[in-house]
Amino acid sequence: MRKINIFKIAPLLIVAVFLLFGFTLKQPSSTYKCMIQMTNYTGEGAYIIISLLNPKGEYEKTLYVQGDDDEWYFDITEWWNFQGKKRTNIDAITGATISGGERAISVIEIADDKIDQGYKVRFETAVEDQEYHADDVEFELTSESVKSKVEGKGFIRYIRLMPQ
Amino acid sequence: MTISIWRYSHLILAVSSALFIFIATVTGIILALEPISNQIQPFAVDNANDLSLAEALEILHNEYEGVITLEKDENDFVIASIITAEGKNDMFYVNPFTGEKLGELIKKKPIFEFATNLHRSLFLKSTGRFLVGLFSFFLFLIAITGIKLILKRQGGFKRFFAKVVKENFEQYFHIVIGRYTLIPIVIITLTGVFLSLEKFNLLPSDKLVHKNIENTSHAESIGINGFHVFQSYTLNELKSLEFPFSEDEEDYFILNLKDKELYINQYTGRVMSKADISLVSIVSTWSMVLHTGQGTFVWAMVLLLSCIAILFFMYSGFTMTIKRKKESVKIKNKYTKDEAEFILLVGSETGHTQRFAKQFFDALITANHTVYLDQLNKYSTYKIAKHLIVFTATYGEGEAPSNAKNFEGLLKMIRQKQTVKYSVVGFGSLMYPDFCKYAIVVDALLQKQKNFIPNLPLFKINNQSHDAFKTWIQQWNESTSQDLKIQLTKPTVNKKRLKNFEVLNITDCNVDDTFLLQLKSLKKQKFKSGDLLAFYPEEDHIERLYSIGRVEDTILLSIKKHKFGVCSKQLSTQKQHNMIKARIKRNLDFHFPIYAKEVIMIANGTGIAPFLGMMNENTLDIKTHLFWGGRTQQSFQLYSKLIDKAFKKGYLSSFNLAYSREEDEKVYVQDVLMEKEKLICNVLQNKGVIMICGSIAMQNSVLEALNIITESKLQHPLSVFENNEQIKMDCY
Repeated sequence: MRKINIFKIAPLLIVAVFLLFGFTLKQPSSTYKCMIQMTNYTGEGAYIIISLLNPKGEYEKTLYVQGDDDEWYFDITEWWNFQGKKRTNIDAITGATISGGERAISVIEIADDKIDQGYKVRFETAVEDQEYHADDVEFELTSESVKSKVEGKGFIRYIRLMPQ
Repeated sequence: MTISIWRYSHLILAVSSALFIFIATVTGIILALEPISNQIQPFAVDNANDLSLAEALEILHNEYEGVITLEKDENDFVIASIITAEGKNDMFYVNPFTGEKLGELIKKKPIFEFATNLHRSLFLKSTGRFLVGLFSFFLFLIAITGIKLILKRQGGFKRFFAKVVKENFEQYFHIVIGRYTLIPIVIITLTGVFLSLEKFNLLPSDKLVHKNIENTSHAESIGINGFHVFQSYTLNELKSLEFPFSEDEEDYFILNLKDKELYINQYTGRVMSKADISLVSIVSTWSMVLHTGQGTFVWAMVLLLSCIAILFFMYSGFTMTIKRKKESVKIKNKYTKDEAEFILLVGSETGHTQRFAKQFFDALITANHTVYLDQLNKYSTYKIAKHLIVFTATYGEGEAPSNAKNFEGLLKMIRQKQTVKYSVVGFGSLMYPDFCKYAIVVDALLQKQKNFIPNLPLFKINNQSHDAFKTWIQQWNESTSQDLKIQLTKPTVNKKRLKNFEVLNITDCNVDDTFLLQLKSLKKQKFKSGDLLAFYPEEDHIERLYSIGRVEDTILLSIKKHKFGVCSKQLSTQKQHNMIKARIKRNLDFHFPIYAKEVIMIANGTGIAPFLGMMNENTLDIKTHLFWGGRTQQSFQLYSKLIDKAFKKGYLSSFNLAYSREEDEKVYVQDVLMEKEKLICNVLQNKGVIMICGSIAMQNSVLEALNIITESKLQHPLSVFENNEQIKMDCY
């Protein structure tokens, strides 16, 4: 029994050691292709923020921003409470707004250790002079969900994720 | 101020939307620079448009790990979004022949971002967008009323680009620039309105609809460079190509072309579905291109210039309005219509004619007459009237000005009980074929009325000439044995602008009391023969203009001493080396036409002065003919030396003289012209120019003679050549 236990624990230990070293050197992460398909709404192009939420539901990291005119960012209130204070540089992960009926494909990067740990991915949407959806799409980050299709509640019809 | 409904709308629209249009125009100027600055970026690749999609895709496929999209922006730059070997996404301008990265995407500069927002929504979001759309529509209406006003003023479509009568700087360029920019402005405003409507969902949906998407199968899988559809299109037709999201067979290529969207099976290359782009969407794309000028350097420049022109229109339009307001004279009648012996009726479109009438009105009042001044439209019975004087302008093609439209009808209905003497003064411009036509109509209408007897024949005044008006006053005084004096407002003369001129030479007065005065400017000044020298005598400060002949860099004036002439008398007593204060006024319309092949110069009396200069500077071998009318051979002596000189040098090809007091038969310059009709026809047909300088009376007779010649020999009225700028005049 004991022997077996050690056998069972050994790979975990190895993984743990690897992970530890990994943290100190470079966070291992993977990239995912992410497609956002909009509904046929009419109006201006939508601002969409893809964020990573920790298990407590707090913002942890901005993964992608569709919409490059920063003077509208404060309209995306919940995210702005987080980004507005920290002002991390998001230039490299910024694209254009997406209009009704359109779709856009972007590549996002997520640290591997966030998967299956209760973290969530959230898609927030806002359109000029129209509603703001704080959780247009929100799902838990699991090894299953990173290759799935999730329906949206607001301006987003669905999103699709696929590991690179 | 009397104005027509068109002019009124033009003004009211402009006033009510000035602020918004100003903001939109200034931001428009900034925004027009964006496509211009983008176009000069080095991301265009020669011949890229001829490359087939299949070739371009193969190149990208070999170069990069994965491709997400391939698109072409409005500048025709090719953009690729790819996945690098490290699995990172990158988007950049690409050379489709090599797959090489040419540069990062142009980031919209903050100034353009700011200007765009202000331009389309004034930072007021929906409200702002609505306002901008509305004022864009207003500007469209302003342009339309502007076109209508130009048509009316010029007299029809055919004359739209004919020469514009120059009243002043603002008026002239408002019209001249307006003619060229109205069309772009109409385009800018209409597309602007369209783009605003689009934002308010007022247009039918332009979303693409794919109806039956064919089931996918990858039975016959072939490589993408074997896809027939990619071979058949080049980058020229491409808008964007989106690669399949995954290798899943449900994912497909989405190919956006200029006129349609295709779904393409990622394994077989078969077109699964096709949707045509809707008309609304095509119009929308065009509106965007036309409104923003994106992708086209030339159109962006046109937009930029149009915006600058709008700013100029705002300036010149308001300046004109303010000037007219100042000039417009309120009618303040001292007597009622039934108490006055003199009735003055005015037909005026812009208020200029009204001013002349007011001067005459004041003169009559000063002479203690009972006068009543009114508009032609208010024609009525006048119980004790003895004289009716009509001052009227003409609008468009011989139409009545706006405040005279009802006169004809009223005249037929209303009868005067007593007989009234009438005189008609017409105001107009010789540049229109229907010179003073409405005045002619009024004169004829009055002639038909039994109770009206003519006092003076119809008198026509060209280009608001004060001198012509004075001539008419003289005629009036003679016919009524009065001595009315027109009070010209004594203008203040800016003494600083007057320059010193030294008297080099002055001749004695000849038989006609005419003398030559030669001056030299102390400071070097630019001038040419045909420019004017302005004197302002201390007594009245009224400007006196003399035409300059430039002879060996000096100013030569030919002056006739008038009995009561303040200025000419003063000048005649000058001695050599005296200093005179005066100012050179450029007169660009009366310079020697160096572009012409042949020139005819017609003058009488002192009007020869500019020609004396021109004929001695004609070094370009332009055939030049002089016609001069004087009283006697002795009158000619004054100028003979200079004319002989020019003739000997070969600068003057011929000269013809007419003496009105020499023989039994009076010969005038127009009589000599009639004899030389062949020469005149030749010159006019060969794009030559006829220049006329001298008295108004001579001008009118000469124009009449020329008109007879052109109508009979060339089958065109003289106004055709006048519009062609082949007739130049400087008469007084």
